[in-house]
Amino acid sequence: MKKRTRMLFKISLAFMIVFAFAFQAQAGQTYKLALSLAITGPTSDAGNPYSKGVEDYFRYVNDMKLLGDDKIDCTIRDDQYKTDVTKRNFEDFIDMGIVFYLNYSTGSTLGLKRDFEEEQMPVIPASFHAGNLDNSNYIFLPIASYSAQAIGLAEYIVKNHKGATPRAAMFLHPSAFGRGPLSDVQKAVKAGLDMNIVEVVEHGKDLDNTAMLKRLQSKGVQYVISQTIQSPVATMIKDASRLGMVATSFGQKGKITFTGCHYTGGNDLVALAGSAAENYYWTTSYIVTSEPGAGTDAQIALAKKYGRDDKAAMSHNYANGVMVAQVAAECIRRAKAKGNKITKETLYAELLQMNGMNAFYPVTTVGPVTYSKTDKAGVDTLQMYSVQNGNFLSVGKPFIPEYTSKIK
Amino acid sequence: MSYFFQLVVSGIVVGSIYALAALGFVLIYKSSKVLNIAHGQIIAAGAFITFALTSKMGIPVYISFLLSMGITFFLSMSVERIFLRRLIGEPIISVIMVTIGLMSIIDGLIFLTPYGSENFSFPKFLPTELIAFGGVSISWTQLVGVLLTATMIAGFSIFFKKSTIGISMRAVSDDQLASMSIGISVPRVFGLAWALAGLSAAAAGCIIGNITGLNFETLQAFGITVFPVVILGGLDSILGAVVAGIIMGLIQQFASGYLDGNFGLNGTAEVLPYIILLIILLIKPHGLFGIHEIERV
Repeated sequence: MKKRTRMLFKISLAFMIVFAFAFQAQAGQTYKLALSLAITGPTSDAGNPYSKGVEDYFRYVNDMKLLGDDKIDCTIRDDQYKTDVTKRNFEDFIDMGIVFYLNYSTGSTLGLKRDFEEEQMPVIPASFHAGNLDNSNYIFLPIASYSAQAIGLAEYIVKNHKGATPRAAMFLHPSAFGRGPLSDVQKAVKAGLDMNIVEVVEHGKDLDNTAMLKRLQSKGVQYVISQTIQSPVATMIKDASRLGMVATSFGQKGKITFTGCHYTGGNDLVALAGSAAENYYWTTSYIVTSEPGAGTDAQIALAKKYGRDDKAAMSHNYANGVMVAQVAAECIRRAKAKGNKITKETLYAELLQMNGMNAFYPVTTVGPVTYSKTDKAGVDTLQMYSVQNGNFLSVGKPFIPEYTSKIK
Repeated sequence: MSYFFQLVVSGIVVGSIYALAALGFVLIYKSSKVLNIAHGQIIAAGAFITFALTSKMGIPVYISFLLSMGITFFLSMSVERIFLRRLIGEPIISVIMVTIGLMSIIDGLIFLTPYGSENFSFPKFLPTELIAFGGVSISWTQLVGVLLTATMIAGFSIFFKKSTIGISMRAVSDDQLASMSIGISVPRVFGLAWALAGLSAAAAGCIIGNITGLNFETLQAFGITVFPVVILGGLDSILGAVVAGIIMGLIQQFASGYLDGNFGLNGTAEVLPYIILLIILLIKPHGLFGIHEIERV
């Protein structure tokens, strides 16, 4: 009798275990992802909408059941732009068993490069620094690097400049983030790009750029290529506007045309510089909400669905966050479709196969996302925008800089 | 030659704004020998209060500006009352540590609002035309900055020299015990010093915010940016802050105008003021106008 009871108990237990597993399978799996970024502290004006973009898109994936019954659980932590905090966060995330990691700053991406290699963790940072890719197998830039952007701006200047060789200055953030593109632009000039880089300025916390601007003007500088954040650019173009130096059309003779890479522009620049931002030329691979289109509609609808204010909804850094979340979710979807288990290894493999017929087309960018063993920059295409009546509007068609491949 | 004069004018303008931003440090140090590390946060708070009053409540910028000076006056007074008053008599390092903590608290509070991580700019409230004379130009914002600095510095100088409270503040700065013995309320003096520092910080925040745009990190960084001005001026001298501010402004503009981009140099406008600061401090360790106290035993 005792044996029979024990037997019955074992059979019931076995059924319960099988049922529990079956239920779990039906309920779907949860994939752990993580993001560490500056929601507060320096650069949080970019980090804040970026985090909202990531959060909203993953919520959308779960709510709309884009992965069936499976869910994405993305832990987002504020690191206040401190690399030591990012490292601690990343170590926690590893303990949590993440399969994909989203990082943020140039400093922390460079600082944690070895950790990413050791953990063999696929990583997409918000930093587009080309140096992130040196000696790295697991870091993937979402869009064209700052170097490619600066070269793209230089090429645009050369193609659209009228007259003798254009004279340009580079206005850089005094850090790896700012300095990164300089040598690549110089290489492009050596490789035949017909431009004269007259001066390289590393800015400080200037309240008045009169001396610098007058100096540039006295050297015949016609274009300024900026690779920094919005605030110093805003102060510079406000001073230039006050001094009557800003070109009202691209390449206007006797004036300076101000241009810049991704983090120098967007609505934040208009918010800081006001009307002085008019005719500022800016390049990025992201769409802007001041241009109508499917991407704009989708971005605004997503932000509204999750109760975001207009400022976040219209931010190109919100689009930036949505896009990296889209790439991560797409990798999971593709791996699932192949019947693969979702691990960091399978997601890494999916990233490497994202090219050719398998390129990914998120609506938030101006071109497709392509990755391979040799191409770790997602969207190679850039779009030039300029501020007209307080809005960034497209100038010409999307393009891929030619000299990025010539200087490799 | 007009280039040279433009650099001089720009240097004086920037220096005046530095002096205005440094004034808060000096006022607190002058009365309590405390360095308020959270001064940059109060500068930022002043700018954002002005902006919030204008953008959310539709109050004209000029009135918002005055209101924000009033608000930061009482805010800073409250900070002193709540956090610092009980530290009177404690080692200075303890008080400075509290101001560091205060910095984190104000940071956190501002990050709870949209002003911590979003960018804004004041609506246009000054003419946009340049004021030009002899090839030298200055904007209305800069002119207002210089005039405001001059007015506040003159006002504070008269206040410290002529008013009873001002003289009491100087007495407390000289000797707290002796001041108490003649009936001066040291806590009241400390509270007032903090309040006046808050008032000047709001003025500085609005001027800087109108130049750079309203970005929290940029604004609060000016608390540190003007630190060399405070040290060079001598920590407790209002005149010192003005002179040091203008020296720093001129050095920056001349370095940027004549050295940067030439002789293979770059970024000298950032470094040179610190080099000059070190040289001056080697010769005058108490700063240009700092009081060299001699203790007789």
